[in-house]
Amino acid sequence: MRVGFFVGCNTAFNRPDLEKAVRYAFPALGVELDDLEGQSCCPTWGTMPSIDLAGWCAVGARNYALAEEKNLDMITVCGSCYGSLAESRHKLLSDPELKARVNAMLKSIGREFKGTSRIRHAICYLYKELGPEKIKEAVRHKLDGITIAVQPGCHALWPSEVYEDKEEDTFHPKVLIELCEALGAKAPYYSRLLDCCGMGGMRSTDMEKSFKLVEKKLNSMKEEINPDLIVTACSSCLIQLDTAQGFLQKDRKINYEIPVLHYMQLLALCLGAEPGQVASLGKTNVQSVVNKILEG
Amino acid sequence: MSNAAEAVPEVINLSAGEKGFVDEIKALGATHILDCIQCAKCAAACPMALAGFPFFNKRVIQAILLGLKEMLLDDTSIWACQSCNRCTEVCPRKVNPFEVMQAMRRVAVREFALPTLAIEGIKSLYDVGHAVYLAQAHENRVKVGLPQKPPSTVAHPTALRELQALLEQTALSDLGIIPMGKSGVKESCEV
Repeated sequence: MRVGFFVGCNTAFNRPDLEKAVRYAFPALGVELDDLEGQSCCPTWGTMPSIDLAGWCAVGARNYALAEEKNLDMITVCGSCYGSLAESRHKLLSDPELKARVNAMLKSIGREFKGTSRIRHAICYLYKELGPEKIKEAVRHKLDGITIAVQPGCHALWPSEVYEDKEEDTFHPKVLIELCEALGAKAPYYSRLLDCCGMGGMRSTDMEKSFKLVEKKLNSMKEEINPDLIVTACSSCLIQLDTAQGFLQKDRKINYEIPVLHYMQLLALCLGAEPGQVASLGKTNVQSVVNKILEG
Repeated sequence: MSNAAEAVPEVINLSAGEKGFVDEIKALGATHILDCIQCAKCAAACPMALAGFPFFNKRVIQAILLGLKEMLLDDTSIWACQSCNRCTEVCPRKVNPFEVMQAMRRVAVREFALPTLAIEGIKSLYDVGHAVYLAQAHENRVKVGLPQKPPSTVAHPTALRELQALLEQTALSDLGIIPMGKSGVKESCEV
């Protein structure tokens, strides 16, 4: 198996330890990664999609063209990249006029969008193409006794119409829960499981309102399941849940800290990766939970 | 009593609404806006409504239908939309409220009513190929055993030039909100 790795901005620049985790875990499970040299931003919601529909699709289509030239699908660990690329592809394939316009733009740089490659959500890819059983067999460290609060992230779920990788019931997601359970952890339901993390446009527009959402979410986790760890399926959720806790503590809004990891980081650790490389750049202290993992 | 007077909500002058505004929004991507019956399923699912932003999906649609363009341009809510698409998922009329939000942003951009951070993100996208960019990230990348630069436009000047050539064919070049044609790598941009 071979896929193109769509790295995305936040993973490459904010959390390269997550990028390293992807580069460790996929090959360890027999999936070869291709770098799709020269890829760009997806681009994300506040930029081209908010300015020019065809321009947004053109930037997305150029990224697809790189994958199509190699006959590969792409995977991403970022919800925004997944959402933006899945939506622009859906628009291009359902609107011939838009596709012709975008291809006229791409022709000027010697590229073409055909629609043969897909964007895959890394977590759903693991679930569908490898499956929880195979992951269970491959891990060296088990998470017995660890309770996880899962954060699937909006863009792994909606709009389900345009997504290749989707849940059976988008308002009762199970993919991330089952993948955490495959590692030996418990991942119980909590009432704000589906709540948005408040990253992205909301945080850029009004940090206080954005952090109020995080606070509600964190309190729901803490009070209802008291988790050892939060596990996200999205790099934006990772950054928000990880960084917001310090601000909330400082403002005396919360008096606890829950370590946060992306599922790919947790998986890499369970497969035997070096913690300093795959889980070392967060603000929350993951050391105690990493020690627990390595003992398991 | 002045307090009581302040408590009276502002009366919206419906005759002041901009005629033809809804057509502009439709042309910018919100094709099905007229199918909205204001049932509020979108609002019930919206994180913006939960966080307390005044113009969440349902209210944006109603304001557009009333032609209240200036009111929407004066408020930053539309830029807080998370693009989570819950609204699109639950809408029983297939209005696609997220498309309405995006179309409204496209109007705002034409009127130069966009936040500074959005402009910085666009400039960063043009200059380096990434809307979110941190020049100092190479230290952390090396620390975790990765090359200084990811295998993207950042490491491939020809690919960056390709991307810029594409962007120069979009509405960005007409708007003139960022300098194009001359590329200069900036230090950082976190949108």
